[in-house]
Amino acid sequence: MNAPMVGQGQKQKVAVRDLKFFYGDTLALKSISLPLYDRKVTAFIGPSGCGKSTLLRVLNRMYDLYPKQRAEGEVLLDGENILAPGQDLNLLRAKVGMVFQKPTPFPMSIYDNIAFGIRLYEKVSRSELDGRVEAALTRAALWGEVKDKLNSSGLSLSGGQQQRLCIARTIAVEPEVMLLDEPASALDPISTSRIEELIDELKSDYTIAIVTHNMQQAARVSQYTAFMYLGELVEFDETSRIFTMPSDKRTQDYITGRFG
Amino acid sequence: MAISMSRYNARRRRNRFAVALCFAATGFGLIWLVLILATLLWNGLPGLTPALFTESTPPPGSEGGLLNAIAGSLILTVLGTVIGAPIGILAGTYMAEYGRFSRLSQVVRFVNDILLSAPSIVIGLFIYEILVAPLGHFSGWAGAVSLAVLVIPVVVRTTEDMLSMVPGQMREAAAALGLPRSIIVRSITYRAAKAGIVTGVLLAVARISGETAPLLFTALNNQFWSTNLNEPMASLPAVIFQFALSPYADWQQLAWTGALIITFAVLVLNIGARILVRSRNPQ
Amino acid sequence: MPRARSVSREERLAIRLRGFRLGDRVFHSLTFLAAILVLALLSGVIVSLVQGSLPALHAFGLNFIVTEVWNPVGDRFGALAAIVGTLVTSAIAMLIGVPVSIGIAIFLTELCPMWLRRPIAIAIELLAGIPSIIYGIWGLFVLAPFLQRTLEPWLIALFSPIPGLNLLFAGPPFGVGVFTAGLILAIMVLPFITAVTRDVFSSVPPVLKEAAYGLGCTTWEVSRQVVLPYTRVGVTGGIMLGLGRALGETMAVTFVIGNAHRLSASVLAPGTTISATIANEFNEAVGDLYTSSLIALGLILFVITFIVLALARYMLMRMERRAGA
Repeated sequence: MNAPMVGQGQKQKVAVRDLKFFYGDTLALKSISLPLYDRKVTAFIGPSGCGKSTLLRVLNRMYDLYPKQRAEGEVLLDGENILAPGQDLNLLRAKVGMVFQKPTPFPMSIYDNIAFGIRLYEKVSRSELDGRVEAALTRAALWGEVKDKLNSSGLSLSGGQQQRLCIARTIAVEPEVMLLDEPASALDPISTSRIEELIDELKSDYTIAIVTHNMQQAARVSQYTAFMYLGELVEFDETSRIFTMPSDKRTQDYITGRFG
Repeated sequence: MAISMSRYNARRRRNRFAVALCFAATGFGLIWLVLILATLLWNGLPGLTPALFTESTPPPGSEGGLLNAIAGSLILTVLGTVIGAPIGILAGTYMAEYGRFSRLSQVVRFVNDILLSAPSIVIGLFIYEILVAPLGHFSGWAGAVSLAVLVIPVVVRTTEDMLSMVPGQMREAAAALGLPRSIIVRSITYRAAKAGIVTGVLLAVARISGETAPLLFTALNNQFWSTNLNEPMASLPAVIFQFALSPYADWQQLAWTGALIITFAVLVLNIGARILVRSRNPQ
Repeated sequence: MPRARSVSREERLAIRLRGFRLGDRVFHSLTFLAAILVLALLSGVIVSLVQGSLPALHAFGLNFIVTEVWNPVGDRFGALAAIVGTLVTSAIAMLIGVPVSIGIAIFLTELCPMWLRRPIAIAIELLAGIPSIIYGIWGLFVLAPFLQRTLEPWLIALFSPIPGLNLLFAGPPFGVGVFTAGLILAIMVLPFITAVTRDVFSSVPPVLKEAAYGLGCTTWEVSRQVVLPYTRVGVTGGIMLGLGRALGETMAVTFVIGNAHRLSASVLAPGTTISATIANEFNEAVGDLYTSSLIALGLILFVITFIVLALARYMLMRMERRAGA
């Protein structure tokens, strides 16, 4: 494994160490170790079923919602092991936000979709709340399109708009890390490119991990790329190296389209 | 081609006969609704006077209305719903949200199905045994509780079904914001399943507002105006039961008019529930 | 941006989260208690019924179930007439209701034009919404006199020359009686059986039906040879659900059955059912043994409906499992 060599000198926001993941008795992740560098975009690629989404769902412990799923090893967020038994999940998830493949606006107005999370965690005045909602929507490049219909249902937006609403909702809670699980795979090409631009802008403030099955997308938006195969981390490197001179034969086969 | 035309014709005849039977069956099913509603209107409308809503049930041979019965029915139904619906919603929530994968939920689901189809008169006996016999008197409370026992399984069933239909991704998205479980349930999944849950409650209300059997040995009946829940309480179905089987013409008239009121109230509730479901799921 | 305020923010979050944890625990416990209460209710029903029927079961033992006598004056009680009445009225309801329901379901899924399906389905389902006491009063004042004048004399005349059947349809026509109760029950269970049957019919994969139609099958042949065999288990489950309803139905039956505690070969004769007996006599029952016998009747009814329901659930579950596979 060449992971420790890559990106030396960068601050590690998240460090995954010897992570194993089980669905019941099935081993789904086989001893994964890799870093997520602070304010960089790390892409996870690999054929479906390779464990890339599973890995993402360990980083905010989403798997805790389901029985018979468990993780072993360490995942350090700013040096603290989030897999430790005492970890407060809500606090963790407030710090590690997630955006899903299918847009999931809550069944409430556009405004409330954003304000909901803020109000839960902070006591803010109405005017400050307005400002925070506007800032989040602006950051997600959605403000111009929705500023006149903040009270209409979040479900009334188009798919691409809904996805940006979900990103805005995540931003509003001010996380430190953002996990994006194939955020554009359900969208049309124009919406996809807007999401990609957005990711590029967001990396100045957030540490971002993105799962994608679209290799061009990984190449466009990420600085680091992890190639996974059958629950193993095959290769982790700077994106430019992965796509030009991968060191593993399997990586090469995958990115040249020989399988997957 | 070796198609035997006679055989084919026989098949066609048989088909036409069977299709005709299906049409007849549908007609048979629909005719009762028409007949019953027509009878109710025909017999009930003449008794629909203002006095019906301003006077209590009379002794035989004198003028009167159904005020005490209508009020009693409203009180019992509202109380039964207020007691039963929250319990049903909470239990359904446990099964769909917290205990979705647990053994307890499976057991509760089965037990709830038994309660759902337990004869309502058996529920009446049960409440009689625990609330009437030990206290020594019939009461509005006993009636309300027996109705609540009928409400619970209906609401548990619909709540669980409706919450289970909320996509898991909605819960994950809320959890990903760091929201605690109870807030995810109350602010997100309840909201997403609202129409369905309300429908379940409406159907439960429709069911209990026409129920008679469980009230017979719990709330009993009351000839007079009373809102005291520690005393026997009148209800429309109980009054209809008593008056319809009486030999007095004016009592029978009141029974028909009461039947008309209750049927239309229940049908409006049923149709309302349906419209609610439909407005949320246009597909 | 998030960095600069992370310390104070962390503290703020921690305080809020402590509040949430309490709320979480309270809400979780509430839902859990409600679920337990559902279990407690059923246990309560069973315990109170068993306890209430102990005096009668002590006095009569198993003879209670097989004795016809129902004599409040002599304090001698047997449930046979009521049990048989319950089973016979429900059987009549099924004989009439099941074919009709299946016919309606075929009509709704195969024959009816699209725009009419919903209105007809709703109209049928509204039948289920009409309170049972309305069926009772309507049955007593409209249906029973009508049957007394028309169908019953005709049935008596029709079957009188046929040995065996002439006992089953022996006169005089009362109007009220076992047959009338069965017919009312048939109307009442119709919407339930129709709804389930229609649902399982529409679960048949279209390719199956198209394949049969492609062979040149008629509508009836497709329904009979493809749809019904495919959905047999589900339809049976629906029938059982309807049967459960019919067995426990009280008010409608109480009005039209005639309330006679005796066994009669003729379905046109008055009879009684478990639920009608309880509804009619419970409040007038004097003496512990009388009351206890009525509660024992309730227990028997509960056991019967439980068995029928458990079978229904089992069948519908098998159907669902197959649909899922």
